[in-house]
Amino acid sequence: MTTWSCMNLQDSASPIMEQLIFFHDHTMMIITMILAMVLYFMASTIINELVDRYMLEGQTMELMWTIVPAVILLFITTPSLRLLYLMDEIHNPIMTIKTIGHQWYWSYEYSDFVNVEFDSYMTPYEGDNKSMFRLLETDNHVTLPMHSFIRIIVTAADVLHSWTIPSLGIKADATPGRLNQSSFMINRPGLLYGQCSEICGANHSFMPIVIESVSTENFIEWIKKLSE
Amino acid sequence: MASRLLFSSLRQVQKLQKACIHGRSRIGNREVVGFGFNGQYSYQDRIDFPMPAIRFKESTPDIVALREKEKGDWRKLTLEEKKALYRASFCMTFTEMNAPTGEWKSIIGIACVLISIGIWVFILERLFVYKELPTSFSEESKKAQLKRMIDLRVNPIEGISSKFDYEKGEWK
Repeated sequence: MTTWSCMNLQDSASPIMEQLIFFHDHTMMIITMILAMVLYFMASTIINELVDRYMLEGQTMELMWTIVPAVILLFITTPSLRLLYLMDEIHNPIMTIKTIGHQWYWSYEYSDFVNVEFDSYMTPYEGDNKSMFRLLETDNHVTLPMHSFIRIIVTAADVLHSWTIPSLGIKADATPGRLNQSSFMINRPGLLYGQCSEICGANHSFMPIVIESVSTENFIEWIKKLSE
Repeated sequence: MASRLLFSSLRQVQKLQKACIHGRSRIGNREVVGFGFNGQYSYQDRIDFPMPAIRFKESTPDIVALREKEKGDWRKLTLEEKKALYRASFCMTFTEMNAPTGEWKSIIGIACVLISIGIWVFILERLFVYKELPTSFSEESKKAQLKRMIDLRVNPIEGISSKFDYEKGEWK
């Protein structure tokens, strides 16, 4: 989850998000270098007192400032396309969960082995429980096993919503009448938070998502208990 | 008629290489001394092209007499005469052209005024417009939430939990 004054991406909980963070850092370095270069050019043009009244063109310069940015863009597109296709690889997920967005809560269905369905509403903030994360906690968590590929199918019952967990690098729009598929694998145990990311009415800011990542044994215990 | 004007002005350019685009009647009695920086009958003090097309002041009998004297030995000209000759042909000297204007002071001043207006707007908004922060922003709440974040190992790679030494139970 995001901590205070956090200007950067959350730490990754999945291998794809790790790669996304690396790509982000790589591209950020390139654009910082470009920024430094452009600032230097601007500063030296301002201070410059030389004038060429008959300057019309500079063919070599124009060639260089077309080719060099194209090469820089190649350095950006190569990892980008690699990551794009990596994100779409099929991994034989061991289970599929369905999530349906409603106004204003999420409902989840685990229908692979047992038929489990539940709703997940935001817990309203009370002043007494001081360690509660305001606007992020839900009554039911989406419990999932670690180190297993999971497929998630996202849809909505009424209006557009968007299901996202930043630390997994997932965002999938929940469109009524459409099934959007995404897949992920969680690297570490813990609680992963997300919030609805498509405006959906009055309580759009109050329908969070909590994934509880547990060991496979704990997951089996949990789902057995729920199905009873 | 337009083509006749065009051809006559083109002929002038070829013959004399002096300023020749329209405006001749606006300069009064001023002598045309060259092409200028764009071929127009204008005077401009420019450090990158210090040869304007026309003299600065109109020709008066005094100046015409001085110009005759200028054709002779320059050592016979007094300093005052040299200065008068310069000021007749030019408005400013190079030193005057390059002199700092102090404009930066007004720019910085006005920028500071506008920034302070922005800061005042922000202060007045904080005082009169915004509601109270929720109780989860109190120090006690934040401490409890921070402890829970550390217990949950939130952001353990480079974030907050990576700065906590779990074996010793204290910050690194």
